[in-house]
Amino acid sequence: MELEVKREKLVLRIGKGKYEWHIEPRYWRNPFIYVGILIVLPIIAYFVYPTLLPTIINANILVAIAIPLGWMTVGTGRMNFGPQFYIGAGGYAAALCSIHLGWPPIVTLPVTVVTCLIFGLLMSPLSIIAGGLYYTLLTLLFPLVFLEITFIFTDIFKGDTGLFGVSPLISGGSFGTNQLMVCLLSLFIMLIYMFIVDKIMRSKFSASMAAINDDEEVAEAMGVNVKKIKIISFTIPAVMIGILGWFYAHYYGTFSGITYLPLSFMLKVLMVSMIGGRVQIYGCVVGGYFIAILELALQYLVGDYSSVVFPIILLILLLSLSEGLFGLYRKRRYREYLPTLHVRR
Amino acid sequence: MAVNDVSFSINEGETLGLMGPNGAGKTTLVNLITGKYFTDAGDIQFMGHDITKLPPYKRCKLGISRTYQIPRPFPELTALMSVAVSAIYGKDRENQSLEDAATEATHYLEFCGLFSKRNVLGKDLTLYELRGLELARALATTPKLIFVDEVMAGLNPSEATKAVRLLERAKEEFGVTILWIEHVMAALMKAAQRVVVLHYGKKIAEGLPQEIANDPYVIECYLGSCHA
Repeated sequence: MELEVKREKLVLRIGKGKYEWHIEPRYWRNPFIYVGILIVLPIIAYFVYPTLLPTIINANILVAIAIPLGWMTVGTGRMNFGPQFYIGAGGYAAALCSIHLGWPPIVTLPVTVVTCLIFGLLMSPLSIIAGGLYYTLLTLLFPLVFLEITFIFTDIFKGDTGLFGVSPLISGGSFGTNQLMVCLLSLFIMLIYMFIVDKIMRSKFSASMAAINDDEEVAEAMGVNVKKIKIISFTIPAVMIGILGWFYAHYYGTFSGITYLPLSFMLKVLMVSMIGGRVQIYGCVVGGYFIAILELALQYLVGDYSSVVFPIILLILLLSLSEGLFGLYRKRRYREYLPTLHVRR
Repeated sequence: MAVNDVSFSINEGETLGLMGPNGAGKTTLVNLITGKYFTDAGDIQFMGHDITKLPPYKRCKLGISRTYQIPRPFPELTALMSVAVSAIYGKDRENQSLEDAATEATHYLEFCGLFSKRNVLGKDLTLYELRGLELARALATTPKLIFVDEVMAGLNPSEATKAVRLLERAKEEFGVTILWIEHVMAALMKAAQRVVVLHYGKKIAEGLPQEIANDPYVIECYLGSCHA
């Protein structure tokens, strides 16, 4: 392995592979400002309006689910309608280990990763075998089957009431401080996911994913190992989403399939992607915060009617903003979801 | 059965013409050799390798590439990225980053006269440009053998002439072997060293272009028994 800095580029050589990243400080201002705002926001909320912290946590986690889902969508060339299956798998793995074995979050995390890796690998061939609508329907079905399983094996999963007594994510401080720490942890997870997926989307791996997304058959004829790329693009995002199940289980101290596995939860995640802009990593942040804040605002404004008004507003937004909220920005400053390479003669 | 009992060989550096009436199985044969379909019986040998059971991407890495009868660009990718994909994955190259691949891709785009269109999306290119892009994409995989499927289809006479010249230059500059499927007999007779004729999935003739042009059975297959 060799690392060198060469003409504003960070060049990493691992074996026969070469990876280049531009180091362009002139473009760092805006990311620093946006990340700064995201860090400062929960701190301000902690001092001014602490009840806003759960909403921010909710927004961060929704974004963190939508980001790997975007990767999965591009890499497999298909829309997965059941990302919550992995939240269920990860959450139950963490909750069961914590309750029955008394393991702390740091120990249940690797268990969650391994569980989701196994499920991801087992289900990844679907992205090769099933195409289009069939894939979508099958992925839609899995979380519902899992939900039924939690009811059938209620001794294990406590399908009707949920599992209680999961060890907390952060303990020791006051309730407010713990909330703030959890909020910053959720933000950290989201930013890490964003960094990883952003780097992947700017690598040569993304070129293969884009080719698969456009025409699998031609991509394979041009030398792309479609099956390998699809399995990677399915399994790793599945693990990333599963980790958020671990987060939910330890954050709430309880985990129940009925909260995360039904379609309503998936709809929210899907809306984050759609409102933010399809397969837009940064758009997901806009979408996630928008959805979480809209949900909170409607609870205050219309109370019980929010469950009706919320989807209606989302539908109107979907119809009027086909490119999502981030699309409005992109129309002014157009960019492909993959890097546009400019080469001079 | 689309292709049955077809056996032929192609020599290095040669241009082999593959002709036959509509539905003769020409494209199916190319699909079998490039790996889109697998054969039920028989084997396909390429430079000493048995490639009968290899998946398409492995055949590509060995040096087999193709263009399509109806162009199949990557619609949402720019011309540069489309060719870069081939440059990255067409062959296992050491120490090649995305930017290195893009630089290499420009070479092929320039060769096909598409350098100025490098940032245009595949879906926005004209038919002639798409033919060029397909050739650039195929050449970027550094092939030894290219299957060219009806490169002149849909082009006007001047574009068709340019496309044929481009193929000749590609053969000269990159030393590739070409298997050329074509309906325009005049072009094939001029460019090909040998011609194989298929009819109803069977090989009915093989030989020099002039011999094929005078073969009564080939004429009968194309024009009917009254012309033979």
